[in-house]
Amino acid sequence: MNMTDILKVEHLCKSFGGIMATQDVSYSMKSGEFSAIVGPNGAGKTTFFHLISGYHRADSGSVWYKEKNITKWPPHKIARLGVTRCFQVSNNYPMLTTYENVRQAVLTQKKRTLNLFTPAKNLAVEETLNILDMVGISDNANTMAGNLSQGDKKILEIAMALGSKPELLYLDEPTAGMSSDETYKTMELIKRLNEQMGVTILFTEHDMPVVFGYAHRLTVLHQGAIIADGIPEEVRSDKMVQKVYLGEEE
Amino acid sequence: MQWSHNMRFFQSYAMKKQLWIIVVIIIAAILPTIIGAFWINVAVEILIMGLFAVSFNMIFGYMGQLSFGHAAFYGVGAYTVGLLMAKLSIPFSLSLIAAMLSAGAFALIIGYFCIRLTGIYFAILTLSFGQLIYYIVFEWYSFTGGDNGLQGIAAPHLLSSVTAYYYFTLVIVIAALIVMWYISRSPFGYTMRAIRDNANRTRFLGINVKRYMLINFVIAGAFAGLAGGLWGPFNQSISPDLLNWTESGIPVFMTVIGGSASFLGPMVGSIIYTFLNAFVTGFTQYWPLIIGIVIMLIILFSPGGIQGLIDKWYKHSDSSDENIEL
Repeated sequence: MNMTDILKVEHLCKSFGGIMATQDVSYSMKSGEFSAIVGPNGAGKTTFFHLISGYHRADSGSVWYKEKNITKWPPHKIARLGVTRCFQVSNNYPMLTTYENVRQAVLTQKKRTLNLFTPAKNLAVEETLNILDMVGISDNANTMAGNLSQGDKKILEIAMALGSKPELLYLDEPTAGMSSDETYKTMELIKRLNEQMGVTILFTEHDMPVVFGYAHRLTVLHQGAIIADGIPEEVRSDKMVQKVYLGEEE
Repeated sequence: MQWSHNMRFFQSYAMKKQLWIIVVIIIAAILPTIIGAFWINVAVEILIMGLFAVSFNMIFGYMGQLSFGHAAFYGVGAYTVGLLMAKLSIPFSLSLIAAMLSAGAFALIIGYFCIRLTGIYFAILTLSFGQLIYYIVFEWYSFTGGDNGLQGIAAPHLLSSVTAYYYFTLVIVIAALIVMWYISRSPFGYTMRAIRDNANRTRFLGINVKRYMLINFVIAGAFAGLAGGLWGPFNQSISPDLLNWTESGIPVFMTVIGGSASFLGPMVGSIIYTFLNAFVTGFTQYWPLIIGIVIMLIILFSPGGIQGLIDKWYKHSDSSDENIEL
């Protein structure tokens, strides 16, 4: 595996109306990592994802993807590099079917979306069906995405991300609102992506057993700043982390 | 299992609709032998306004934005044909192509600004640009004839009878609809639906949303220009009213009546709207009252329009866009 930095963030700052949502965050990931960012509500996890995916523009600092400075890039340009994002609140196309949702991601990744005259239903059939099969929502292929259950909507999020063939995947609370059975299946799927397909994964999660069960590395955000970063056991025993975060839960 | 079962069900449903379309085309082909000259004129109007409305629905139904200035492109198309034919004696066929190009060019300029906004702001800005062009045409006497409009736009000799012009319009409109139908089912068409449903998500998949919206806006403008181009020689004169906001309202009404969720909905709307107009104005001047009541009834009892009602008859479970759209 190539162990160069895939993502590098330097001194990133962002404030909203005087509140520092991200404070001087420096962070880097090696290709193939499976890492988590945790922190209490309002710690700045989602803002951090917004900044590195191009949704928000940083006040200062820089974001690098494979030695490219992408700090000021818009989301669609960052996405085309192979950086894909799954959303905390499911974020799909409610008036299209599950199948069409995933196909849209596949066709975009294959750069076929400017094709004006080939019927879309003849394109990317196999890839789309494979992805639906892989994540286990083939039975709902013809269901409108807006009518899916909450758990299936989250799985569709991951299916759409797969359609984008990501090299780096950001998952914002991938198992929020899922039953423990669904959580297990989803995390095993994400683990497979990391181990078998070599996707670099960065996720946020509230469920501590999930974080400790899967992440190889753990970073703790508190009030927009990183207060701990390391292997999960190290972070778990960190006094500061216990005080601001883990202490509350245990 | 479920999947293949559903596919079979939808295929038979789609086939039934295709059968209906063939029946309608056959009726359209023999229509002039059945009806008199007045109603042939109405039929030409149905076709032209239907094309205008279907092009409007590329923005409204597929992109999810309400354009309230679509008549600008319709009017630009009409004036392009009118000016080229009346002042420069350019052949009708070339003028029609020029109408599409010039309407597309106007859509490119206006769209460049409008696609930056969505929702009510998009509607207001398209309305403003539409009115801006309307007033330029209205005031520019030396070039457009101002509020006198342009007269004496005669169709070529071959198309001088209303029946010939009907068949010509039928062929052009069907060809244009086929092109737009292909676009609507293409990956580009689905990208427009994706932008309509969730522009932000589409951005994060890697789509430059504004660029796609602009391309769609230009295509829709060009087809509105084609519709406008067909209007001039049919009516033999054109006036600035073709660009006014009231004209922009007509495809909105037609789309609401016919249904925006299906490709041919606006054409169905044009049949109902234009036919009713011709029928009702024959015995009363209260046309706005009648059409107002019709639209109210549709919004209250069938928000999906007439086409939505037909689709409901045909199927009971939920389905994909792709299958309800013919």
